[in-house]
Amino acid sequence: MGTESWLTLALLAVFAPVATGALTMLLPKGVITPRVLLALAGPVIAVVALLQHGVSTQVASLPLAPTLGLELSFAADQLGMFFALLVSGIGCLIVLYARGYFGRSEADLARFYPMLGLFMTAMMGIVLSDNLLGLFVFWELTSVSSFLLIGWHTNDRTSGKLAMQAFAVTGLGGLVMLAGLIALGVSSNIWSFSGLEAAMAAGTFSIGAPMVMTAFALIFVGAAAKSAQWPLHFWLPGAMAAPTPVSAYLHSATMVKAGVYLLARLFPVLRELDWWMPTLVFFGVMTMVVGGYMAIRSDVLKKIFAYTTVSQLGLFVCAYGLGGIDFLHGSHGGGEHAGSAHGATELAAAAGDPNIIYPITQILNHALYKAPLFILAGAIMHIAGRKALSECKGLIKSHRLLAVLSLLAAYAMAGLPFTLSFPAKEAFLYQIVHGAESHAVLWLVGVGAVFMAMCNVAVFVRMTATFFAKAGAHGHGHADEEHHHHEHERGFWGACIWWPAAALVIWQYIGGFAPGLFERIILPVETGAENYWTHLPSVFEALTHPTAALGLSAAAIALGLGLGLAPMWRRAINDPHNQLFPLSLRGGERLGHSVFATVQRGDVRIYVVTVLTALIAAMGATFWLDRGALLKWPDVPGITDVDYTLAGWLLTALICASALIMPIVKSRVVRVLVLGTCGFSVIGMYLLYQAPDLALTQVMFEIISVVLFMLALRLLPERGAQVRAFPVPRVVFAALVGLCVGWITLHAGAAADKSALDAWAMAQQQGEVQHAQMEHGGAILAAADVEGHEAADSEHHAPFVQVDDTRLGGWMLRNSYMGTTADTHGRGGGGNNVVNVILVDFRGYDTVGEITVLSIAMMGVLALIGACPAPLGLQERGPQRHLRTYMLRTAMKLLLPLSLLFAGYVFFKGHDEPGGGFIAGLIASVGLAAYRMSDGGAALKRLLPIKPGLTAAMGLALALGTGVAPLLIHLFTGEGGPFFTSDNSYVPLIGGGTYHWTSVALFDLGVFIVVVAVSVGMINRFEEELD
Amino acid sequence: MTVLLSICVAVIFAVSVYLLTSRDLKSVAMGLFLFSHAAHMGIIAMSGQPLLSLGGETVRKASPILGTSALGLHVDPLPQALILTSIVISFAVTGFLLALLVAQHRRVRSMDVTELREEDRPEMPDDFATAEAA
Repeated sequence: MGTESWLTLALLAVFAPVATGALTMLLPKGVITPRVLLALAGPVIAVVALLQHGVSTQVASLPLAPTLGLELSFAADQLGMFFALLVSGIGCLIVLYARGYFGRSEADLARFYPMLGLFMTAMMGIVLSDNLLGLFVFWELTSVSSFLLIGWHTNDRTSGKLAMQAFAVTGLGGLVMLAGLIALGVSSNIWSFSGLEAAMAAGTFSIGAPMVMTAFALIFVGAAAKSAQWPLHFWLPGAMAAPTPVSAYLHSATMVKAGVYLLARLFPVLRELDWWMPTLVFFGVMTMVVGGYMAIRSDVLKKIFAYTTVSQLGLFVCAYGLGGIDFLHGSHGGGEHAGSAHGATELAAAAGDPNIIYPITQILNHALYKAPLFILAGAIMHIAGRKALSECKGLIKSHRLLAVLSLLAAYAMAGLPFTLSFPAKEAFLYQIVHGAESHAVLWLVGVGAVFMAMCNVAVFVRMTATFFAKAGAHGHGHADEEHHHHEHERGFWGACIWWPAAALVIWQYIGGFAPGLFERIILPVETGAENYWTHLPSVFEALTHPTAALGLSAAAIALGLGLGLAPMWRRAINDPHNQLFPLSLRGGERLGHSVFATVQRGDVRIYVVTVLTALIAAMGATFWLDRGALLKWPDVPGITDVDYTLAGWLLTALICASALIMPIVKSRVVRVLVLGTCGFSVIGMYLLYQAPDLALTQVMFEIISVVLFMLALRLLPERGAQVRAFPVPRVVFAALVGLCVGWITLHAGAAADKSALDAWAMAQQQGEVQHAQMEHGGAILAAADVEGHEAADSEHHAPFVQVDDTRLGGWMLRNSYMGTTADTHGRGGGGNNVVNVILVDFRGYDTVGEITVLSIAMMGVLALIGACPAPLGLQERGPQRHLRTYMLRTAMKLLLPLSLLFAGYVFFKGHDEPGGGFIAGLIASVGLAAYRMSDGGAALKRLLPIKPGLTAAMGLALALGTGVAPLLIHLFTGEGGPFFTSDNSYVPLIGGGTYHWTSVALFDLGVFIVVVAVSVGMINRFEEELD
Repeated sequence: MTVLLSICVAVIFAVSVYLLTSRDLKSVAMGLFLFSHAAHMGIIAMSGQPLLSLGGETVRKASPILGTSALGLHVDPLPQALILTSIVISFAVTGFLLALLVAQHRRVRSMDVTELREEDRPEMPDDFATAEAA
């Protein structure tokens, strides 16, 4: 199977759930069954796609930003495939259960399925991602989607807080993990699991490096937070605020298993780290004990089950730790126990063989009883109206089916014989006993494990005793105020509230009674199985060949029976860990408030002075460290060219004079005009510095800014605040800052000159060769206009560019037209105007960010002015004297088309000559602004009927779409490439000649649209206020 | 040229800092506007002078449009691209700032920085009630 088809299948498997979930939103109201079936299609497609592919270590990737190490890459090896099938398989059942749970409640289902789809996609992404950063993205996506699901009851404050708690713990844990992943990637340049494995195999990966160890410690924190390890476990019981379908899914197959998955994934690497395994064992045991204890001190059914999940997660983590200890301390293999009985040998092989790395059957086993338990807890709540165990007396009589199924699942949870759990638990205990033979301290782990098993048995015993007890005061179910109680449905859809539980729990007993059958059906699917058990030992084998592990099991069962029936530890208590989050949140808020109150004094002048003082201090420190070299006047090459010096002096005089009279002028109109004078003089500077694009932009910018200032000032009062006559400190401070910045500029400019001269000198050394090239380049330039472009595509502009390669700008000059280096993949921006190529191609990401800022700023203007309408009676302006004179209106009829035409010309020329989207946008805006002034808002609205916000959004979408298109093209044709790959070609024009077309022109068009929308939108809004 | 540009930067910067520390909000807005000019000129200074003097002979660099220089000698295009971006951004920021001033004036009826101090100070947050679900 080719990589391409696996990529398609992987994308299908990962994104089908969210896609179908989103599609359900399009369904009309009153459609229920199609909604369920559509939502069901997602995980079903995922299962089919996965089975179609089968297990392989093949990696398929979709590059997003390869230079940043970011790509979407997927691999379905044994571990990934197992988890992916678990997620999607149980996902199917959860979709159906949700139908039974929410009943015919249209609004709930419509809200639930899209969120569930997102959650499934996030989980599938985690377990199939090969790229570390890709994994992180999906990892945080589970945090986000679980936040939405846990905070389901939006009008319930507690639910919101619990959702926030879960999000904070798992999300922040994820950020810690990100730090770890980046540390790993940066220090070893490995960004994928497959890369890690390859480096391990090649022996080039040194696990002992401090950076790598730190990285793994951080990754562990993330995994532990997600998998609810003590002391961060508290979010998981809190997460039961979610609707029960979510709880069932969250506890059995998703979310908490993400951390376990990551530990499993990293296990082959990390078992060589000597502190790793003891850490896992320690936190695992603590979690087991706390979870077990809290499970029997709880009364609400979902809470009991939640805490048993916590303890089970501790068991997983502990199991990884033990596997590693065995691995570290010698080859205990099965051989040592060759004399022991068959079943025990199997278990021994299970526990001691260093090849056993994934306790996959443990995880499957847990899913097979925990999902049913939650499903049934939800059913009992809905049908019988009982939430707490103590309310469930006599349930066996009133709701026989639910009670029996619950007991079957709880029996499996207790790990009692004839279930799949039994050998699973035996294997774990065997691991402990085996490890304890060499490390006596592990007997403590044994005590912890027995304690946890005892608690599970006790829960089962209590449930049995309560269900069979005589119905007391709670004999009849009562509607639960928090929970929408509805009439129970009949038929298939009604039965959906219980049969998914039955469908899962049955496998526990098939595994227990007929291990052969279980193997035949499940093991081929559970693809990691050959790593775990060659065959599943039957109960009889274990019972007839007793080991120390069996003794521990028996002890746990006996103790559990006693505890379950005893009156002690009956009263429900609150987990003290629940205070951790509120306390730390409150501490954070207090700290933030006090810092804020100290730093944010509410006076902009203090901020300005603080920031600039820091600047001066930093410069002073640099001067001092530099031992005075920066204090000397730099060596600035003198200029003898009269044109430049004369123009330079004149412009300097103009700029300085217009700036200096700014504070003295009183009239606000004159001030704005002086401001404009300064800006227009700066244009001259740009021209001297050979920056035609800047000059064009600045002209338009000055015009629009002056207009904007004039408009805004009319809305403001004439008189400003009283100013002191001669503010000496201000003048001194301003002068000091000005001197410092001027000094920096001087040194920076001198340094640039020096490097340019050095580069030139280098070029001169190559003398003759350069010269020949130079003439060659010149000749071709001369010929180019005659010949047209297409023939000379390769030679035309590649010529000789005298560049300073030590500077980034030099690289850009060289690659602007044709790519010549590996970084550009042999293609450049295809444009002669390097500035424009930088904007739309080399630094396209920047530009996307920029036009986003523009759009946001405009929305801010619209919202701010809209939110503060002019108060009545506030005289903020004189009578409006419109510019709508006849002459102007007549002139505009001619000028507007001209300005738009000119904008179009500048836009299309922009890639090769001065111009481009920004400049064209500003030119068009100036024309439109003038039109707005002469003809009024109504006329503008006729011309541009679409609202500016929507227009800007369209421009943004176009720009982003141009970026995404190559990705999609890559997906379907194998051409294209990463985000923002460009292409260009020459389009023949009618009547001869060619037009140089590049794909980034579309991107530039997006920029153009945004600029026009933003500037016209802003000016129009201010004018509306004046009208 | 670098010296002249440095003088411009120093002067504009000093004036804009002076205006930024003013009590009058309109002056603050104008100060910020000038500030961007100084920053832009500071950045373009880093592309080096548009002339190279080589042992008495002076060579002019061409604008960063490929094919416009027989010598293949162009000025550094990167500072120009950065400035172009910055110009357009400062336009948006200026618009936003002016809208903020208008809104501020309508709410507080003052253009004095010192009179804004006690506006909108955040309150100490409520107690985060324990998240314990019964």
